Amino acid sequence: MEETGPRKKILCIDDTPTVRLLVKRLLSHRYAVFEAENGLQGIDLAAEIHPDLVFVDLHMPYLTGYEVATRLKTLLPHTPVIALTADISANVRERALASGCDGYLSKPIDPDEFQERVEAYLGGEREELQDNSYRAEYQGMVVQRLEQKVRELTQALEENTRLNRQNQELLSKSQRRARLLEAAARVSRNITSILDLDALLHATVDIICEEFGFYYAGVFLVDAGNEFAVLRAGRGEAGAHMLAQGHHLPLDGTSMVGAAITTRQPRIALDVELEAGRFRNPLLPLTHSEMALPLTVGGAVIGALTVQSTDEHAFSEDDITALQTLADQLAVAINNARLLHDLEEAHAALLRSKTYEAIALATGEAIHWVGNKAAPIPGSVARIREDLARYLIAANALLALMPPDLQEHKYATLLHEAADQLAAHDFDVEAVHSALEALSPRQLRRGVTVDSMLEDLAIIEGSARAILNIKEDLIGPARQRRVQTFSLPELLRETVASMGIPADSVTFDFAAETPAVQADRVQLQRVFINLIKNAMEAMEGRPIKRLRLAVRRAEEPRIVIVEVTDTGVGIPPEQLDKIWMAFYTTKGDRGGTGLGLPACAQIIGELGGKITVASEVGTGTTFSVALPAVE
Amino acid sequence: MEDEIRILLVDDEPLVRRSMEKTLIRAGMDVETAAGARDGLARFTAALEEAPFTLAIVDLHMPDLKGVDNPDAGLELLSELLARQPALPVIVLTAFDEVERAKEAITRGARAYFVKGREAGLLELVHTILEEEDKEGDEK
Repeated sequence: MEETGPRKKILCIDDTPTVRLLVKRLLSHRYAVFEAENGLQGIDLAAEIHPDLVFVDLHMPYLTGYEVATRLKTLLPHTPVIALTADISANVRERALASGCDGYLSKPIDPDEFQERVEAYLGGEREELQDNSYRAEYQGMVVQRLEQKVRELTQALEENTRLNRQNQELLSKSQRRARLLEAAARVSRNITSILDLDALLHATVDIICEEFGFYYAGVFLVDAGNEFAVLRAGRGEAGAHMLAQGHHLPLDGTSMVGAAITTRQPRIALDVELEAGRFRNPLLPLTHSEMALPLTVGGAVIGALTVQSTDEHAFSEDDITALQTLADQLAVAINNARLLHDLEEAHAALLRSKTYEAIALATGEAIHWVGNKAAPIPGSVARIREDLARYLIAANALLALMPPDLQEHKYATLLHEAADQLAAHDFDVEAVHSALEALSPRQLRRGVTVDSMLEDLAIIEGSARAILNIKEDLIGPARQRRVQTFSLPELLRETVASMGIPADSVTFDFAAETPAVQADRVQLQRVFINLIKNAMEAMEGRPIKRLRLAVRRAEEPRIVIVEVTDTGVGIPPEQLDKIWMAFYTTKGDRGGTGLGLPACAQIIGELGGKITVASEVGTGTTFSVALPAVE
Repeated sequence: MEDEIRILLVDDEPLVRRSMEKTLIRAGMDVETAAGARDGLARFTAALEEAPFTLAIVDLHMPDLKGVDNPDAGLELLSELLARQPALPVIVLTAFDEVERAKEAITRGARAYFVKGREAGLLELVHTILEEEDKEGDEK
């Protein structure tokens, strides 16, 4: 290097890289060359490095070379600023000098001249502007540029503010949309799990008002006759009042609900004062916006959802979308609830028909049983009639053989009249008489007996009694109950006595302290009468007849057990299950109704107890009744 | 009596049984009764050699040969009786609502069925069957 000391710093501000490269090539062997690609960068760099010389391109974006020169003149008043430009229009040089430049070089750069000029400028050479008018022109231009800049900045600021506002609106809209959709989803989730229609509708209107913050919500459903939209659920007191009134609207354009249903389109009144097709409801005075959304399922409109707000213009597009989504879900839920209802109806109908079937079966059994019990009655009656006739005719025949003075005796009159009465009742008196005549004395004595008549009366009585018993057995368990607290040993002793069973033929095996029970005393006594009667009948004709009645605590707490044990014939294992069946009886010989044990089981069951049986053929049977004890 | 009519009556309902028995006795017949299939078969078998029955009247639903209540006990007894005396006329007794079962008994060899309740009718039926028997006997 030829020179000593720090190298001089030259700053080149130009937006064209090739120009900066050329300047660097030409000068960097002697000077420290700095580059900036625009005006602002150049000014900042100049302030930092304090260059000894600055080249500035006049035509650059944002900040022109003129403006950079002006700025540099105040920033570094002693540093020469040289304009470097390809502009060859008139007075460029003057304008550059007016802006504060100290020299002017035109592009393209002449390498020889360029180095010379650099040295000259560094050496203090300055060009002077002769004409001051350029300076004024330049100042006007700067003010203009400045004004334009301010405008641009203001505009940019406004645009920024607008964009910012728009962003905020979008954000709040999307937040609201998310909230609405979330609420709709929550409502849907809640309502689709409710299968009772009324509960579903009431829950829906409540949830809609709570989640969306609306004033009122109501659900209308189209009636069966397809004439009216009937309010099925309404929010709050207004809703309750309208429901009580049976509020309904015709399916036409005279109401928003009617219109929404007939057109299958949402109806929205953002300012109800202006809406003609709207039912003005005195119960909802605060409504300012109202919306009616059709409830559609599978292409059919089943009703409408009405939502009302105290605000005007309360419903945004998002509200409508969210609520229509909700309405669609609601329609599906209503449909589900209705389907379930239909299913339940069908099930109930099936149950009813099954019940009828069961009743028919039981009735058939009962008729069969009654028919069998009644079967001997006509035969016995016929025999008694015949026997009666035979006795009277025999008596009259004997009377005919008596002397005339006896014919007026009061008994003779009685017998004559009896014979006349028989004839009047279509008895063939002659035929009976002939039949009696035909019999030998021995045959007569054997064939006509009072014993036989009494037996036939007994047969009739027995049959009638059996039929009457079934009535008691059938209606016994259904009798009105009168619950008392009493002791079982006492009841059993009383029962045995009332049945006329001698106390010495019964073993009472009662534990020292037995808890009382709570039941209808008469009903429970019926149970024990039944069991004791069974036991006595099972022992008929048996060599050992011993009835044992026991009362004791069960092993499990709060249960008391009564045992009725006989030494009777026993029940074969294959019959043990059947004894609880209605109309089943093993007592062919003894005339049971087949209802006694089923009735017992029912009574004990209703008391929360249990009746069981253990039996051994030839040894005997034990019926055990377990009952809840009163402690 | 040499041509005494001997009838075996099997029914588990005591009143029904006794009433029918009396009706038959009045008509001059000799009646033995049993309350179930087992007892009925025993009486029938015991009488078979000395004084066989002319006719049997058998209930359908009663204790069977094992002594167990059985709606088909009468059918069981019917086949036992016919196995021992194939020409025996048997009348099956039935409740008014069990006629179908009784008809089945006819296909199994019973001569007739009788719906319980009108005993005069039973007597007529017994007479009709015995007359038919007499005719067949004469033809032979």
